[in-house]
Amino acid sequence: MIGLNDYAPIVGQEVIDQLQRLAARLGPRRFVHINSTRTGGGVAEILERAVPLLQQLGMDVKWEVIQGDQEFFEITKAMHNALQGYKVRLSPGMLDHYREINRENARKFTWESDFVLVHDPQPAYLINFLRPQAKHWIWRCHIDASRPERRVWKFLQEIVSQYEASVFSMSQFAQNLPHPQYLIRPSIDPLSEKNRDLSTAEVQEVLDRLGIERDKPIILQVSRFDSFKDPVGVIQAFRMVRRHTPCKLVLAGGEAIDDPEGPRIFAEVMEAAQGEPDIQILLLPPDAHHDVNALQRASDIIVQKSTREGFGLTVTEAMWKGKPVIGGAVGGIVLQLRDYNTGFLVHSPEGCAFRIRYLLHRPEMARRMGKMAREFVLHHFLITRKIRDYLTLMILRENPTERVMEL
Amino acid sequence: MKINLDQPAEHPFWFREYFLMPMPIGKKAVNLRELLQALRELDESVLYYHIFQSRMAISQSAEEYPNEFARWAAKDLQDAKLAEKLSSFDPFDYENLTQLRQSVVDILEEYLWDIQYIPWARYGFEFHFCEASTVVMNSHICAHTLPEFCEGLRNVGLGALFYHFFEARWRLGVRNVDDFSYWIEANFGLPELVAAIRGIDIYFYSLSEIRDTLLGLMHQYLGELCDRTQ
Repeated sequence: MIGLNDYAPIVGQEVIDQLQRLAARLGPRRFVHINSTRTGGGVAEILERAVPLLQQLGMDVKWEVIQGDQEFFEITKAMHNALQGYKVRLSPGMLDHYREINRENARKFTWESDFVLVHDPQPAYLINFLRPQAKHWIWRCHIDASRPERRVWKFLQEIVSQYEASVFSMSQFAQNLPHPQYLIRPSIDPLSEKNRDLSTAEVQEVLDRLGIERDKPIILQVSRFDSFKDPVGVIQAFRMVRRHTPCKLVLAGGEAIDDPEGPRIFAEVMEAAQGEPDIQILLLPPDAHHDVNALQRASDIIVQKSTREGFGLTVTEAMWKGKPVIGGAVGGIVLQLRDYNTGFLVHSPEGCAFRIRYLLHRPEMARRMGKMAREFVLHHFLITRKIRDYLTLMILRENPTERVMEL
Repeated sequence: MKINLDQPAEHPFWFREYFLMPMPIGKKAVNLRELLQALRELDESVLYYHIFQSRMAISQSAEEYPNEFARWAAKDLQDAKLAEKLSSFDPFDYENLTQLRQSVVDILEEYLWDIQYIPWARYGFEFHFCEASTVVMNSHICAHTLPEFCEGLRNVGLGALFYHFFEARWRLGVRNVDDFSYWIEANFGLPELVAAIRGIDIYFYSLSEIRDTLLGLMHQYLGELCDRTQ
């Protein structure tokens, strides 16, 4: 098992010492995370890595996953889309079903805890049934909620207002809520299977297995087949680039069990790519972390052309691998990519095509950008910083009237 | 003057660690007039965050603007003239945040007085107001001598530099005085080194540049002995 000290060669021993001292000052605390899927998607990936590290720091951590039927996940996906600005209507029956599934899940949870961190809207309603079981309830929103659909947000606002605090990834996602709101940037784990260093042979083995030849520069987008990730826009951009410069496009995505829209979007992508031999579409299982790692390392340019994005961890992953990234100018991507510096921000398929061509013709610029991108991630977006934020948050919530806590 | 680098300080210097948790308040400004109105009304903690603490949140080393109001004016309002005005005032000229707030309000009022249209940010590029909570605790790094102090300076996190070098100016309430120069002066004298440290124009340095500058000054005034590892 990976230990905290294994991170020292990457982030520095002082960062590890700092975490240990912070945890010691906080003391052992019971800490429950609740979300809606064990695999697939950024939240599950983060929890899979953060939970063992918090345990190593002396916290008693549990990770609970709520169960739901197809209808429940269709409703919560609609809520997710509404938070990201889609015009969505939820009928009273749908809202009742949402509450009922939360009620059923609540019956299974018998733990008592000091802190509960509830991730995203799916399990948010649990607080109505479980509040006496924990001292501090905090809602964690991973979604780009900068322009939520009004009615759906009003429904959620009433639920979220019952929490004592909420956490967002960007200040523009914060809302008018009657409790303190905090910012915690998402992070990646440099030692996970998705991000650890790979040998050339390991990368080649994956390419051989997936049938990808390196005869032309590779453009890659890794993301779920979700309309907000705009895979069809990426194909349009690629077709524009191909008129001028030879290259190939790989779209690699998985499905998460809490995302019922996946198959429909996947079908749209297949149709858009029809007749183009240099486009390869890979439907990967949610645990294909090693393959994604190898694909990112084998690529020349990485694209994340989202039209809404909570944060965009695939951007962070690519930056960590020293790759030049072109991203949609939305959500957390804006924080990570600085034009001509740590990456490029684009607003349209045309902009995306233009930047791909730019980088294909300027490999030295691409290398320099990748180097700066890796440095930026090292300082701001690695998991050790996130663990520190969790510990700090707990200390602050135990002393809610203090703005400066002297330990 | 001959300096005895092994002379222990009367009071050792404990480096303190500083963890900042930004707290968005859920309010935003779409145009310059809204920014002005918000700056008149919001808590001083919001002003403090956007002028000082924001440099702890995400590194701004590649940016030329020393506070978030100036950066917003330049990048999102696309108003270079306003950005220049907001970059040029020195927040350390003021004794407290009330005076500082008034000076920023004055800059914006004067600017708005003379222009014929109000600069607006595009959709998605509004100014989002934040404040912050912080946790401060002793690190395990303690310096009894100047070489130990240099060693500590090399090893502490950037949060410690912010706490001792930026935050201290408000905490100690004496212009240009920070924890580092205060400790050196109180324990070793060294007026030239102290004056050089207090002469750093900190508003334009990132935290890691501050570290390098301080170590450079220590080396310049104390020689290579200060570079040794104890």
